Amino acid sequence: MENPLSLWHFYLRNKRKVLPVVGILALAILGVVVTDSLLASARETAYATFGSYQKLILVAPRATRDQDLANPLADSLTQLREVQLKVDNLDGPGGLSAYYDAVIALPARVRAQLPAVQQLQIDAANARYYAARLRGDLVPLGDLIVRVQRLQAEQKSFDQLVQQLTQNPSDPRPLISYLQQHQTWLQSVLPDSAQLGRLQAAVGNASSDAAGLQQSLQAMGRDTTNLNAAGQSVANIPIPPSPSGTIDQFKAALDRLTSSLGAIQAPQPGLDKLVADSARIPGTAFVKRDAYSNLDINLLAGNAQFDLYGFDQPGMGQLLSLYGDKVVAGRLPRADANEIAVSEEIARSRHVWVGGKVGNAIDELDRLPDTFTVVGIIRGPTRLGVIPLDYLTEHYLFERRYQGLVVVPQAGHEQAVHDQLQGLIANSAFRLFDWPYIKGKIDSLIANLDVINRFLILLVTIVLSLVVGLLNNLFFRQRMNEFGLLAAVGYSRWGLILRVAWESLGVTLAAWIIGVGLGVAVLSWFNLTFIVPHGLLMNIFDWNVLALHTLPIPLMVFVFGMGTVAWQLLRLDPISIIERRD
Amino acid sequence: MLSAQDLALDYRSGSSVAHAVDTVSLSVDQGSFVGLIGPSGSGKSSLMYLLSGLKRPTRGTVAFEGRDYGKISTPGLMRLRRQRYGFVFQQHFLVNYLSALENVMVGAVRRNHEAVAYAQELLRRVGLGDKLRQRPYQLSIGERQRVAVARALVHRPAVIFADEPTASLDQATGLEVINLLADYRTRGGGSVVVVTHDPAMLTGADWVLQMRDGRLSPA
Repeated sequence: MENPLSLWHFYLRNKRKVLPVVGILALAILGVVVTDSLLASARETAYATFGSYQKLILVAPRATRDQDLANPLADSLTQLREVQLKVDNLDGPGGLSAYYDAVIALPARVRAQLPAVQQLQIDAANARYYAARLRGDLVPLGDLIVRVQRLQAEQKSFDQLVQQLTQNPSDPRPLISYLQQHQTWLQSVLPDSAQLGRLQAAVGNASSDAAGLQQSLQAMGRDTTNLNAAGQSVANIPIPPSPSGTIDQFKAALDRLTSSLGAIQAPQPGLDKLVADSARIPGTAFVKRDAYSNLDINLLAGNAQFDLYGFDQPGMGQLLSLYGDKVVAGRLPRADANEIAVSEEIARSRHVWVGGKVGNAIDELDRLPDTFTVVGIIRGPTRLGVIPLDYLTEHYLFERRYQGLVVVPQAGHEQAVHDQLQGLIANSAFRLFDWPYIKGKIDSLIANLDVINRFLILLVTIVLSLVVGLLNNLFFRQRMNEFGLLAAVGYSRWGLILRVAWESLGVTLAAWIIGVGLGVAVLSWFNLTFIVPHGLLMNIFDWNVLALHTLPIPLMVFVFGMGTVAWQLLRLDPISIIERRD
Repeated sequence: MLSAQDLALDYRSGSSVAHAVDTVSLSVDQGSFVGLIGPSGSGKSSLMYLLSGLKRPTRGTVAFEGRDYGKISTPGLMRLRRQRYGFVFQQHFLVNYLSALENVMVGAVRRNHEAVAYAQELLRRVGLGDKLRQRPYQLSIGERQRVAVARALVHRPAVIFADEPTASLDQATGLEVINLLADYRTRGGGSVVVVTHDPAMLTGADWVLQMRDGRLSPA
């Protein structure tokens, strides 16, 4: 007969007490196995999804001010706004509106001056009247002037006569001759009384008319001054703005806009040179221009962007050869066609096959314009996706603008090529993406989940340790008689502790094995029904997960449970149990 | 074989001292049936704990086959109890999840076929030959106590200590149990020390000692 206190007896005869503990622990371990495996799956899937970076370096345009499409457009917009301001200013203070208002007001202002003009007309008419009269008045006076002129002429003849008479006082002939010659003249020079009367009247009229003329002229002078003043005010119209400056600025802004639009259409500056320089780096297998895009896929840990390589036709073949991948269904995309070929895992992830559609018309998170038709399924160790370079660059402004290049180093030259490339791009608007960088990002992403997961495991371990510890204590109290008797009849304390330790170890070990077994079963089922159909990766037999990550739970539970029981066993007084009368 | 000299056990509570056992000397010869009788609290159970090594005395000495308990380590005393002594208590203290036979085997020092056969024989002898596989909860209280007696006998101890083994039994069943113990004295050659408050149970004893206030006197 085997030992009645054997573990087998204990477990077999205490199924109702042991199984719940085993069940709780096993479920907790199952939980750890599943969550840990899912986390590992997320990491492995992420590694596989971005596995292409293990053999190539993507040189992608970096977002800079020059590179950004928004900036040239913004510059153009600034220029246009300046022009707009200038145009607005035409209608501002002193602008066209003021000019228009002044012109519109002109007739009224001119009409307001009409009475002054009419007064000037009257004054001018008066002046003309008096001037005419004055001329009339002066006609008789003209006759007098003629007579005076004649007298002045006779003055010379008379002076000659006096001189002759002085020289020959005795000779009367000059006097007689003079008198004979000038008798008639003298009669004509001397006016008669009628003539004198007319002369006097003319002088009087002339004086009156001269006064009238003077008044009229003075009035005209005042009128003219007033009119001139009013006329200046009327003629004070704003000078219309000169269009030439505004047109020049507008033209300059349009030129800049044209230039900006041209810059937008061009690939980013320096790409051609970078492609050429990269090809010359020692250790480079090949270099390809790449109009890269992305497909939105699920990685368990969240959605991610699967990189698509926008290559020319020879480039697609080279890329597949690089990884040992093959097209197992359909074909590679044709030139200048909205077609795509992807690895089967990615196709499964997107629930598409040959003939299926992807693109941002299907999934708004796809960085793939419009709709692309899946024409090929790729199978191989590395997940790939290829699209035609020319289709993207010729049909989509943004894709043309944001081209990059793929540099494939020869095996063993990865770091050297990376360093050389880094030197080439220097401060230009490019940046490198290689495997160490991508892996770091993935690890960083998973690390957060890892921390959460470890915290949960710690929490579960602590809670379970407490729960199982309490259950152990409860169970121990129920078995107090057993231990009291055994201690009384001579079983050693350490022997009893060892016995309990074996019991606990058996329970935790059984829970661990069952939990891990259940975990493997659940993961296998999940792998078949979800992981594989969704193109994800899962290692069901990840011994790190199954063995190492699950051990803390049974270990802690064992240590804690055992610790509390051992402490009570060491303090156990068999007599107090024997003497109990319950 | 088992002797005690000036044995005392004090319980201290603050400044007061209670003398549970007060200067007791006695000797238990091989093959003898000694009864300890006395009212509750007289110290008879305490004396039994001292004699069996379950407690260390405040004063005095206990010796088994000439070995002074004071010179034996605690593990040594445990081994002594385990190998040379048998115990029957007022409660049976059977392990619930074990059968009657397995419970008897809990007391066995060696668990070989001979021991199992002896355990079966003991159970037959106590009238439970047909209930070897029964669990304690399937047995009557008297039957359980008989299993406890068999457990105490299975390793052929030199001394059996029985502390109020009949207290929870009726008179007839109690007597059956006492007779089983007494029978071991004659069949196995071991000594039996029975503590009880019922004098009727000690009719077969070689000698009966009266305990009162921790002191011993012939009944």
